[in-house]
Amino acid sequence: MASAAAPAAQSAPPSLSLPPSQFARLQPHAYLLAHLSPPATSNQPSIRANGRAPSQFRITSANTGSLTHTNGSAVVRVGDTTAVCGVRAELLPTEDIASWSVSRSAAATTNKRRKLTDPTQKLTEEIGDESDLDADADDQSHIEDLNLLVPNLSLSTGCAPGFIPGAPPSSLAQSLSHQILALLHTTRLVRAEDLRVWYQPPNLGAEDLERHNESEQMDVDAEEAGEKDKEIKAFWVLYIDVMIVSLAGNPFDAAWASVLAALRDTKLPRAWWDIDNEMVVCSDAVSESHKLTLRGMPVASSFCVFEADAAAGWRAVIIPDAEEERQIEESNRKGVQRRWILADPDGYEEGLTQERACIVVDKKQGGKGKLVIVKMEKNGGWALDSEELRKLVDISAKRWEDVRQVIGQC
Amino acid sequence: MVGPTTSLTPLSRADGSASYQCPATGANILGSVNAPIELPGRRDALKPEDATVEVFIKPGTAPGGVGERYVEGIIKSMLGRLVLGREKSYARRGIVVTLAIVGGESKPRGDSYLTVLPALLQTSLLALLSASVPLSMTFSATVLGVNTLGEIIREPAPTDAAAATSLHVLAFSSKGHLLLNESRGSFDFDTWERIRQRALTICHGTLSGSPDGDVAMVEDVDGQPLEGVVRETVEDKYHQDYAWKIDAA
Amino acid sequence: MSSPLILLPGDSVPSEYLPSSNSSAPLRLGPGLRLLSQPPSSSSSKTSTGHVLAATQSGILTTDPKRNAVSLLSTPNRRYVPTSNDLVIAQVHHSSPDYFHCLITPQTPQVVLGQLSFEGATKKTRPMLKQGDLVYARVLSTGLGAGAEVELTCVNPATGRAEPGGLGPLTGGMVFDVSTGMAARLMRASSSSAENQESVDGLVVLDELGKKLEKVGGFEIAVGRNGKVWVDCANGGDSAIKATVAIGRCLSAIDEHTLSLADQKKLVTRVLREMKIET
Repeated sequence: MASAAAPAAQSAPPSLSLPPSQFARLQPHAYLLAHLSPPATSNQPSIRANGRAPSQFRITSANTGSLTHTNGSAVVRVGDTTAVCGVRAELLPTEDIASWSVSRSAAATTNKRRKLTDPTQKLTEEIGDESDLDADADDQSHIEDLNLLVPNLSLSTGCAPGFIPGAPPSSLAQSLSHQILALLHTTRLVRAEDLRVWYQPPNLGAEDLERHNESEQMDVDAEEAGEKDKEIKAFWVLYIDVMIVSLAGNPFDAAWASVLAALRDTKLPRAWWDIDNEMVVCSDAVSESHKLTLRGMPVASSFCVFEADAAAGWRAVIIPDAEEERQIEESNRKGVQRRWILADPDGYEEGLTQERACIVVDKKQGGKGKLVIVKMEKNGGWALDSEELRKLVDISAKRWEDVRQVIGQC
Repeated sequence: MVGPTTSLTPLSRADGSASYQCPATGANILGSVNAPIELPGRRDALKPEDATVEVFIKPGTAPGGVGERYVEGIIKSMLGRLVLGREKSYARRGIVVTLAIVGGESKPRGDSYLTVLPALLQTSLLALLSASVPLSMTFSATVLGVNTLGEIIREPAPTDAAAATSLHVLAFSSKGHLLLNESRGSFDFDTWERIRQRALTICHGTLSGSPDGDVAMVEDVDGQPLEGVVRETVEDKYHQDYAWKIDAA
Repeated sequence: MSSPLILLPGDSVPSEYLPSSNSSAPLRLGPGLRLLSQPPSSSSSKTSTGHVLAATQSGILTTDPKRNAVSLLSTPNRRYVPTSNDLVIAQVHHSSPDYFHCLITPQTPQVVLGQLSFEGATKKTRPMLKQGDLVYARVLSTGLGAGAEVELTCVNPATGRAEPGGLGPLTGGMVFDVSTGMAARLMRASSSSAENQESVDGLVVLDELGKKLEKVGGFEIAVGRNGKVWVDCANGGDSAIKATVAIGRCLSAIDEHTLSLADQKKLVTRVLREMKIET
């Protein structure tokens, strides 16, 4: 063995060049930098190590309804990041809600207050879906107070190196769960009306009166003359479980897209109050089930900032103040670039960057309306300021069109 | 506008500590910093030449949940860029920031935490200063809400925040960079630019550039700029601690 | 310096505050300051040298023209972190064949003190310290990396002899806790012989106590940088304990409230009168 190996080594002197895959592992920062800033003579465009242009997103695909035992489900792939989302609906009878009678009377009073401020609100109502923005303002509190939407995200074992079995939910998984919940609440994506099971008692006169005497909210109910007989008997609670099957960077965009696609796919069976059995019963006829009508279609786009000088944060160089920063940026426009804003970072790029931005945008009236920013976050650095963020919002608007097509097709 | 109440080093056992009360949002935070300390179970393969910043948030009335993990992540990544973790005796060590929300109402599940975030950030900065952790610069943070009429409300109270169409938390470094932005609600970019301008004024005051390039802080409707509050808190503490030295000289 | 310059991290040191560089010695930078170079692409060419001094911590800027040094006085009352050559008061926790394991600060790992690192100690003559005994020692090394042990010594390792300063076991007396900032002040005040020093550190309490307590036989004091002060009035006879407690009270009162020199003298008189100690 040894004698056989020796002549081979002599004939081919050890090469000092490394194959790209090893260079990428040993000097990740230099590897990505070399891709982004090719020598001027080589006449190559500046591309990322994964072959994408800086503002290019990965190929996104979506598939809905693959999980048959759920009310709605979706699989979304963004490059190698894959998120599976399933929505299960369960009935929550109002009898089981401890504070139901109390919260209902509270809701009625807020409703009244809102109606007083109506004229002022009309002035600024170009933003939302006008009519329901006002009418549903108080029932939105049902979703938030009663926790009718319960998202949970788990990073499954082995979705990326370092996720070992049996470990408690990582802080990344916890904060992603929180982000999804907060975004569901701020976008008010699901209408509370879709989640209610109403009961309209037959007009029996005497019995109706009796019920009112029993309950203490007679005065409240009397105010709302039209709806006084109608009663909410139960709510649907949506358990939205997201599982990141494969994690290659940017989990939030994929997770949110899967939640969106799964909710669009969700069908709730027709449910009604059965007065004889005193319980809510559901119909098993598919034709009677109804889909959720979502408000808008917010789409998330994430970005990261790659700095040419990895050590800028700690090396003994003064951090230029914001004004100087702008001048440097101007003068560098033609010359050497210092930083790149990378859209939809993969896992390799996320490991090399600190500054992150996430923008969620929506367009009303199916894409013809005005662009609305629903959430805009930036953190971990000082490269992104208003000018850069404005560009990112434009990129996010383009991304919105792409994702709408992808989700709309399935 | 009533400014925040601050105190530096109220705790004697921690390396550094601070308390911060914002009367407008009702936030009352007590923060402590221990640094540099040895972290147990630290994987040395992870950034061997740098210090690790850990942030813990203790809510006032409930056990911590996913919301706290999220805010911890935000604060951690922001402080991580400002702390000079490679200074002498900091490499491989940990900087542990613990922020306790004193009292207050319990947050509903999925609450955005945005109204308390600036107070948490300011407290962590003061505590880091009190612990003499090397930093590249300081910062100041504020929260702004936009109500249904399109007016900007500075540091909205919880009820105003609930009624606002959008909420924005911005942090600016002492050199004027936008360090952090967290915006929720529905708004357009022009609204955000207005918000940014107002937040910059709140943090740094109205900038009046004098010929020699110095930037003076001028008080206006927003009262004392937050940057000045931090500086004043630190200066007061030093005057108190070194009174024997300053008076004698 | 009527109004001291207080810097925050990121502030640059104005050049007029730097000591005039007529001496040939290079400028020395204390902790919390660093020399930064301007980024080469910076368009502003206000500073011709391209270098700036900037603070990385908050603190009062102090300059020492004699040593051509500039440093930053930061928060004085911090948790004690052992650094080599600090004098500390340690308490023995337990002993092992080679070492005494001691505590210098609460809730921190124990530090070690060699059984033989006392003056003239051999296997036979080494001091037999029990749990709870006090030792006045110098920090020999702090070690590097995680889990490193701090080692103390009571002798100069080069000569094998005790250094002036009375290192070794402390018998009798009593220990008082003060803040680390106060401990540093006390050490500076007691180590300086000249009178002018007391105005700099603003402490007159020890001199005053020394004068007043001559009648009860004087007292011994050892100050540890870890915020501990050991006091003993071995010759005091009946009033020894009273005098010890009085000294401790004076020190903690000055630590808590910032007192001027005149107030410190008043405090000493008042405490001694309250304790009914004859002066």
